[in-house]
Amino acid sequence: MAQKNLLQGINDGLRQAMEKDPRVVVLGEDVGLNGGVFRVTEGLQKQFGAERVVDTPLAELGIVGCTVGLALAGMRPVCEIQFDGFLPAVMDQVICHFGRMRNRSQGRNSLPLVLRAPHGGLIHAPEHHSESPEAYFTHTPGIKVVIPSTPEDAKGLLIAAINDPDPVVYFEPKRLYRTVKGEVPDAYFETPIGKARVAREGTDITVLSWGAMVHTCLKAAEELEKEGVSCEVVDLRTLTPLDWAGIAASVEKTGRALVAHEAPNTGSWAAEVGALIHERLFHKLRAPVQRVGAWDIRQPLFQLEKYYIPDAHRVVRGVKKLLSRQAV
Amino acid sequence: MASADQRGPMPLTTVHEAKTQRLEILDVEGRADAALEPKAPKEKLLEIYRKMVSIRAFDERALKLQRQGRLGTYPQIIGQEATQIVPACCLEPKDWLVPTYRGQGAYFARGMQLRYSLLYWGGDDRGVRFPTENNDLIFAIPVGSHMTQAAGLAWAEKLKKTNAVALCWLGDGASSKGDFHEALTFAGVHKLPLIMLIENNQWAISLPRAQQCAAETLAQKAFGYGAHGLQVDGNDALAVYKAVSEAVTRGRRGEGPSVIECLTYRMGHHTTADDASRYRSAAEVEGWKAKDPLSRYTKYLKAKGLLTDADVEAALRDAEAMIVEEVKAYEAFPKPNPLDMFANNYAVAPWMLVEQRAELEEVLREKQSRAELPELPPAEGRFP
Ligand SMILES: Cc1ncc(C[n+]2csc(CCOP(=O)(O)OP(=O)(O)O)c2C)c(N)n1
Ligand SMILES: [Mg+2]
Repeated sequence: MAQKNLLQGINDGLRQAMEKDPRVVVLGEDVGLNGGVFRVTEGLQKQFGAERVVDTPLAELGIVGCTVGLALAGMRPVCEIQFDGFLPAVMDQVICHFGRMRNRSQGRNSLPLVLRAPHGGLIHAPEHHSESPEAYFTHTPGIKVVIPSTPEDAKGLLIAAINDPDPVVYFEPKRLYRTVKGEVPDAYFETPIGKARVAREGTDITVLSWGAMVHTCLKAAEELEKEGVSCEVVDLRTLTPLDWAGIAASVEKTGRALVAHEAPNTGSWAAEVGALIHERLFHKLRAPVQRVGAWDIRQPLFQLEKYYIPDAHRVVRGVKKLLSRQAV
Repeated sequence: MASADQRGPMPLTTVHEAKTQRLEILDVEGRADAALEPKAPKEKLLEIYRKMVSIRAFDERALKLQRQGRLGTYPQIIGQEATQIVPACCLEPKDWLVPTYRGQGAYFARGMQLRYSLLYWGGDDRGVRFPTENNDLIFAIPVGSHMTQAAGLAWAEKLKKTNAVALCWLGDGASSKGDFHEALTFAGVHKLPLIMLIENNQWAISLPRAQQCAAETLAQKAFGYGAHGLQVDGNDALAVYKAVSEAVTRGRRGEGPSVIECLTYRMGHHTTADDASRYRSAAEVEGWKAKDPLSRYTKYLKAKGLLTDADVEAALRDAEAMIVEEVKAYEAFPKPNPLDMFANNYAVAPWMLVEQRAELEEVLREKQSRAELPELPPAEGRFP
């Protein structure tokens, strides 16, 4: 075991997957010689060569379309889209092909591929470099969406994603790349896809979150503890397929749920999680589910970003609002 | 011997032939080929000079500001002064200016105050104030996503019979995007007054030109769409001037789109967030210094007797004074009010925005009551 940051966890996972399976190839803009703009793929081209760690031309739809072809023909491609804000250009392949290939080929073809992209804001980056587009993907059937919030999960989830027989979108909370450290097993291991993690135990309310926002929620939970409120913070880790059993276990215990995330609330994955809880656990709830997300507006440039993406204060407000409501 | 049911030999026929030419007028010493020298008025030539000097000085200052923590991520344009300034100076205000994110020079050449460039790269949404009398389009950060829009702009001008053209900048990297193909497909079919100006600065972050596309030139891509194609020494202000002026004339005459590949060099890092020493040699950068667009152009103007040493000094002094003013104005801007972000999202803000803005107001008041937030300037922009 070694102390690593999130970025090193991902790098570790990629390296070990490539060592283990010669079919794994990495492709994307600047991923080779430059090691990626965040250095996530640092050292990989040196170790595995320019045929397996490929600097591509500037063409996102080309990267992802080729990734589909590579996967169809037996490779295990891991492609990178440099920033979340450049994902919209690849949605043609994601929506029309990723999740549909297995079904429309009547099970003959599958797409064991991974699409990696950084996720989220608050790193003072330019426009389109700080977005949280997960709902566009979770809305698409046939694909899996994962997002780690600890270095250990970063490694284990990536290895699981690479080994998964279906296409997996792997989001990397970029604000955590170098700010979160933790023990990461040296061995090759998988963190199971479809399993949430209780990041902090509590009894009064379940706070569900993912990615960098998990850490914001943990901070909020600490503040709330001082005021006598016990929050259970659940890190979903996999957005689709959701760990319903894990969510239900926590919400049944606390009787209250809040979903916190970085994207605008309308049509968000938080909306889906909230709807599921209402549909299935209505009788167990002591108050309606509350969402804390970004506003329904274009994400502003970085001067105002911290007023757009919820901070711990807004999570605390959300929890208090929820606690103040009568049982339905 | 061919039998009765066999055809005789059928040599392949040539159905299309194209040759890609390169235009160079100034050599590295700034000496012009007199036969090619464009007929530009003296005032125009000097205007271009002063603007190139100013944008070079600005770029150096902006880099310093970023390193001092007074500016966010900034994309330098040093080395690309000719491809930034000159094309913009070939246009009329009615023509569409469609730069990239590396486009401060183009906007500046059209009259934008550089304080707005600083404001934008300082993370403030108010930094996009272009002169209202121009058709200047706001740049896009997703590379290449502006190219089909430029075709649409050119199309509209054709339909409106304004005789205006659209000039679209793009990088060598952007020329790989599918959007490039689609923009030129439309522009060719509809004979649109579109100029695609490729600033081939040899790099797309860490990817060298040779790995971007296997074609020998990017200019030759033009021929796949029925467009005019030309390669130009992009560090030669006169060649850029001539190529763009001619493309504008073709556009105004209804002769369709042009692709101009300008060979230039990104002398700086990709942006201030990049470290180019990881992927390219200092020797390569050094080699391009000899082709510096500003010094070649300066030598040319001096040799022509259009510029004296005193003029050069004055131009530098004026540029410095202007930049001091712009930096001062940038830093004197009141911080944006967080409520500003709710303005201008819809023509009329719907109910949820009204509610959410009110919620943010509450949040801000709470933060102020805990002294986490200073007094705020009044909110700007139209709302609801
Ligand atoms: C669609 C998209 N992909 C990736 C990026 C990240 N990125 C910003 S600039 C750039 C390279 C652009 O190269 P080029 O088109 O040659 O322009 P230059 O930066 O050299 O001016 C990349 C990959 C982006 N902004 N948009
Ligand atoms: Mg370039």
